[in-house]
Amino acid sequence: MSPQRTEGSAPDGSLGFLHVDMDAFFVSCELRRRPELIAEPVVVGGTGDRGVVAAASYVARSYGIHSAMPTTRARRLCPHAVFLNGDHAYYGELSAKVMALFRDVTPLVEPLSLDEAFLDVRGALHGHDRAATIAAALRARVLAEEQLTCSVGVATNKFLAKLATERAKPKPSLSGPIFGTGVHVIKAGTELDFLHPLAVGDLWGVGPATGAKLSRMGIETVGDLAAQPKERVTAALGSAVGRHLHLLSHGRDERPVVVGQGVKSVGHEETFAHDLFAEDRLSRELMRMADAVASRLRAANVAGRTITVKVRFGDFTTITRSVTLASPIDGARAIAQEAGVLLAHVDTSPGVRLLGISASQLVTQHGQQLSFDDVDGRSWSDADGVVDEIRERFGGNAIGPATLSKPGSGLKRMERGQQQWGPDRDV
Amino acid sequence: MGMKFRCERDTLVEALSAAGRAVTTRGGALPVLAGVRLELVGDQLTVTGSDLDLTITVVIEVAGGEDGIVVVPSKLVSDVVRSLRPGSVDVAVDDDDVRIVSSPSEFSIRTIPADEFPELSGAEGDAVTLDAGEFRAAIDQVEKAASSDDARPILTGVLMAAEADGLRLVSTDSYRLSVRDLSGTAILSEGQTVLVPSRALKELSRVVGDQDQITLRLGERDAGFEVGGVSITTRLIEGDFPNYRGLIPQNHPNQLTVDRETLLDAVRRVRLLAQESTPVRLAMSDDGLELVAVTQDVGQAHEAVEASYNGTDLTVAFNPEYLIDGIEVAPGDEITLETVDELKPALLKAADDPNFLYLLMPVRVS
Repeated sequence: MSPQRTEGSAPDGSLGFLHVDMDAFFVSCELRRRPELIAEPVVVGGTGDRGVVAAASYVARSYGIHSAMPTTRARRLCPHAVFLNGDHAYYGELSAKVMALFRDVTPLVEPLSLDEAFLDVRGALHGHDRAATIAAALRARVLAEEQLTCSVGVATNKFLAKLATERAKPKPSLSGPIFGTGVHVIKAGTELDFLHPLAVGDLWGVGPATGAKLSRMGIETVGDLAAQPKERVTAALGSAVGRHLHLLSHGRDERPVVVGQGVKSVGHEETFAHDLFAEDRLSRELMRMADAVASRLRAANVAGRTITVKVRFGDFTTITRSVTLASPIDGARAIAQEAGVLLAHVDTSPGVRLLGISASQLVTQHGQQLSFDDVDGRSWSDADGVVDEIRERFGGNAIGPATLSKPGSGLKRMERGQQQWGPDRDV
Repeated sequence: MGMKFRCERDTLVEALSAAGRAVTTRGGALPVLAGVRLELVGDQLTVTGSDLDLTITVVIEVAGGEDGIVVVPSKLVSDVVRSLRPGSVDVAVDDDDVRIVSSPSEFSIRTIPADEFPELSGAEGDAVTLDAGEFRAAIDQVEKAASSDDARPILTGVLMAAEADGLRLVSTDSYRLSVRDLSGTAILSEGQTVLVPSRALKELSRVVGDQDQITLRLGERDAGFEVGGVSITTRLIEGDFPNYRGLIPQNHPNQLTVDRETLLDAVRRVRLLAQESTPVRLAMSDDGLELVAVTQDVGQAHEAVEASYNGTDLTVAFNPEYLIDGIEVAPGDEITLETVDELKPALLKAADDPNFLYLLMPVRVS
């Protein structure tokens, strides 16, 4: 889908790979505009009873609060913490500015998320300008221009750079955060000294299941793993995973920094303040999400061939249902229609806690297949175009599907990132 | 209750797979519907598969041993019988297992309780007969334009409508429309229409073989087709088919006439460079026709096609698959493509056969 996809070349052993991770990014964004909260424990995420913590300030972390923790538990741990609803749009804006600073250093930037990226700076190494110098200068520039701090790992490949970042990070403690070095370098030739004492669980791709398997084989550290014959590891973990981990244990990672990897899917999901049972309410929520997904698809000039509906029930069991269509679609009505059929095949009587729609198998729209609905000049797809135009001029809530409007309360549309971490308190 | 017969492998495979095509593939339905029902009376074996919307029953002659009824897992038993060496197969049921033997292979497969298999009645109504070859050709001409999208159930059907001088089949997925007239085939009463799932008609087309006749029964809710030893019963789709007549432009200022095979080959070639949902463009002028496909960062294809053209210079873009579907099923050696402009539906017809038309919406190129 991304014709402009280009790759940096694979590592060649030179010290030129940076991993940059913003420190407590969402919280830092909030503190940037509310400096009065700097000394307070601050938590960003879903503030309602079903919310989860998206980010916690270092002060909040010293109370044991961490991301992905239920908000209710965080409140118990630190009742006086300041709980803020996430503002995804704002974080996205700051993220774009920070990424732009990265791209000033090298065009080979691979974002992993809003607050994390790999940089291949080998092309920027000349004379005495070493990677560590570049990393320190980058940190200083991000702080000076955006008032945000980040930690940088420097190494001879991506995987080691990411591990190095952990060493550079600030650490929470009961007496407040202990600031890290900000930059940690794993020098060429010292990779294995750094790597081998680490627990295997620190390796990328070793989850609890793989960790347990390795542990049964007597493998606890990365060094233990490296000492195994490759065949024994592939026999236990399968050839692909085994080979990959064995290479990592020797400090080897051939993956290049990949630039311009386009989006793979566009989706929205929402956790409800109370489980939903009523069909008309569910179909209204579905319409709302379809509208949001369609808007973003069109903004990216893509259409999706696969539509997926995700349903989580009150007991947390989660199912997904997908349909793949002959022609890709990008209209709210078409997406809602497909999602509606998928949902109709799901027994929602146990109550729906979370509902989501996503579009995947995205293709760039090089032309639009007209349908007979277009013949008289009033097409649904034309209507979608008008919707985009109005939103651009008058804002997101200026127009939306009629089913989403309530007398007296206006429109309730979805914005990107809204509801990411569970419903807010006032829903 | 026992059941016992001997049968040629190929006869049995054919019956099992034909009936098995109605067997549901969706989860969540009655588990028994993952099976086919075998009923032996004398030397006649009846094999039935159904998903309740579509039922396919095949009757074959076997060497009967002992009458009986059994339901067996459709896919597994079909795969097993197909895998056997050529020759005769012995099938016998004891207790809860069906034994399938073709020396030296021997299979024993757990059956599904037969009393859970639903009662399936065939369509009622008077029997009328259709010319099998002609009806199959007509199905093949319209079924591709029917939608496979369950979100628009009406469009997954093929409309069968009584027309002044016979029967008309119509299908559309809202991007293209096929209309096929069978003159002289009066099987519906005046003004009558029924909406038959295209899936059932596809299965019918598949089993026609070299048979001469199809027997059709139309009930209130069902339609039944019989051909050879196969009968297909389908639930009809309820609802109003869109008003397709208004879509067909009465006036086409531009007319292209071109050899059908030549155009088909050319579109198939050029399509290779119409990737990532890019269209194929037809540039029509007094010089004839030029096909163009351009995929960004991949490449492009051009081909000049000999054609005669009356009208103003015009370039129209189409989804190549949709275009090919239409060209493939148009009858005759020569076809015409009639256009109004680059955004209006284009009409594809056989140059000398008024009984078929294919209306296709263009792709709007930005």
